[in-house]
Amino acid sequence: MSLQSTAQTAPDLALEREMAGLIVTALNLDIAAEAIEPTEPLYGDKLGIDSIDILEIALVMSKQYGVQMKADSEDNARIFGSLRALASYIGEHRAK
Amino acid sequence: MSSLPLLPATDPQAPFALYRGAVVSRECFQSQVMALAAALPASERVLNLCSDRYWFAVSLFAAIARGIMTVLPNSAAPEHLAAVAAEQPGLLLLGDQDAAPADHLPYFRVDTAASNSAISADLPLIPFDRLVACVYTSGSTGTPKPHYKAFGRLRLGILAGAERIWEAAGGPCSVVGTVPIRHMYGLESSVLLPIFGGGRMSTHIPFFPLDIAASLAEMAAPRLLVITPFHLRKLLEADIALPPVAAVLSATAPLSAELAQDTEVRLGCPVIEIYGSTETGQLATRQPCRETVWHNLGDITLAVRDGETWAQGTVYQTPQMLNDTVELLSPSSFRLVDRKANMVNVAGKRSSLSFLNATLAALPGVEDGVFCIPERHGAQDVERLAAFVVAPTLNRETLLAGLRAHIDPVFLPRPIVFVDSLPRDGNGKILARTLDTLIQQHILDRNTP
Repeated sequence: MSLQSTAQTAPDLALEREMAGLIVTALNLDIAAEAIEPTEPLYGDKLGIDSIDILEIALVMSKQYGVQMKADSEDNARIFGSLRALASYIGEHRAK
Repeated sequence: MSSLPLLPATDPQAPFALYRGAVVSRECFQSQVMALAAALPASERVLNLCSDRYWFAVSLFAAIARGIMTVLPNSAAPEHLAAVAAEQPGLLLLGDQDAAPADHLPYFRVDTAASNSAISADLPLIPFDRLVACVYTSGSTGTPKPHYKAFGRLRLGILAGAERIWEAAGGPCSVVGTVPIRHMYGLESSVLLPIFGGGRMSTHIPFFPLDIAASLAEMAAPRLLVITPFHLRKLLEADIALPPVAAVLSATAPLSAELAQDTEVRLGCPVIEIYGSTETGQLATRQPCRETVWHNLGDITLAVRDGETWAQGTVYQTPQMLNDTVELLSPSSFRLVDRKANMVNVAGKRSSLSFLNATLAALPGVEDGVFCIPERHGAQDVERLAAFVVAPTLNRETLLAGLRAHIDPVFLPRPIVFVDSLPRDGNGKILARTLDTLIQQHILDRNTP
């Protein structure tokens, strides 16, 4: 396995922390950014994030990182499956 | 009454849909419908949970061809599906997913790899009055209720709508819809409109702005975008390039004049608003940038009897009562006054939640908001309203000052609960039970000593 591919698959912890902060601010979640567990589902009861929030998060990601989310329903479920999956997607596609 | 062919007579080679990059002709669609109809196991009713709009349509028409009723739940939530299954015995689950999309029902997976070569099979004739679909009300006025639709009447309603919409758009369109296909609006405008009314069907149900742009771009012009006010606002906010759109169709929640105008300026096309309900289907249209008056579709007329407004016409087997208060201008045109279920009376003064909600939403700085009537315990002389408001830049005083300028002080909310967002469903509605939960959490629990 080359170094480059290792770098691509290792989680970008700094980006994850930054994005957690953006999400908490954008959705006015009543929790600290650190409380978002990187590998846990974003959707659902714990954070109370629903599909309307997902549209809001997508707007923030496009403004902050220049990434327009684009996904069919299966990819959408994967990318928003966790903060880590979302950060990995943004890391790969960011323009800013 | 008479029978009608399952599908309209059209040029068999005319493009109907685009499935995974390949053009599907009308003839191919028809063959796939008849092939699936032949393959379906005998059953009384099917629950159609296909996720792709094209296979949803193939499954719907295959069931109709076989005389099988299609049941369309209004959500895929397990508790709702269980309630539907309990009420509709003998259900067979139809889907285009590898794994069954719901538990506890026999599953028939639609073969989406089926040959698309044309098979010649005669189209069956379907009796005009045969009930082919069971649609559930969305529950914004209570619990979901089943409502049955007859084949010929559904088709007539679609043809009347097509005439109106194609005229505004300049001809039959490629239809791209962001709306749920199992709700009446999405079923009529994104599935049945291209089938019965001519035009082409997009198989996607795009969500993100870029997905909407891509779904539009892959379809041939002219294009019709079928959307809700909430989604339309987010699409404009994303500020991305969109391919030319011939018309935008909006329904499920009132479209503000401001959003309608923004849309017409940005997209350079007419915005058409549909008035309807699960019970009535699409009933009237208007172009909110040009008129406040709604014009009924086809031969639908409205009449007031016993203080209620009733819709009648060939599309209805029996007259259907409206959920709203309307001002009739003629039997076929009206102004919307109110949603009846939302009438409120505070200290002897009458208003409506829809009016109050519209006033609240129109205040500068208010992003979303809803009034409600918390059922507080204990004796009260006056029933007071409360409101949940999304307005990050406002405080209680500025919000109250804004409201006071437009509404009678008795209707000012006590309390105002500032929230980060309001949980609207796929159609932009806040369900009654969702509102009840909010009231419990933010108002009743808080007041409990």
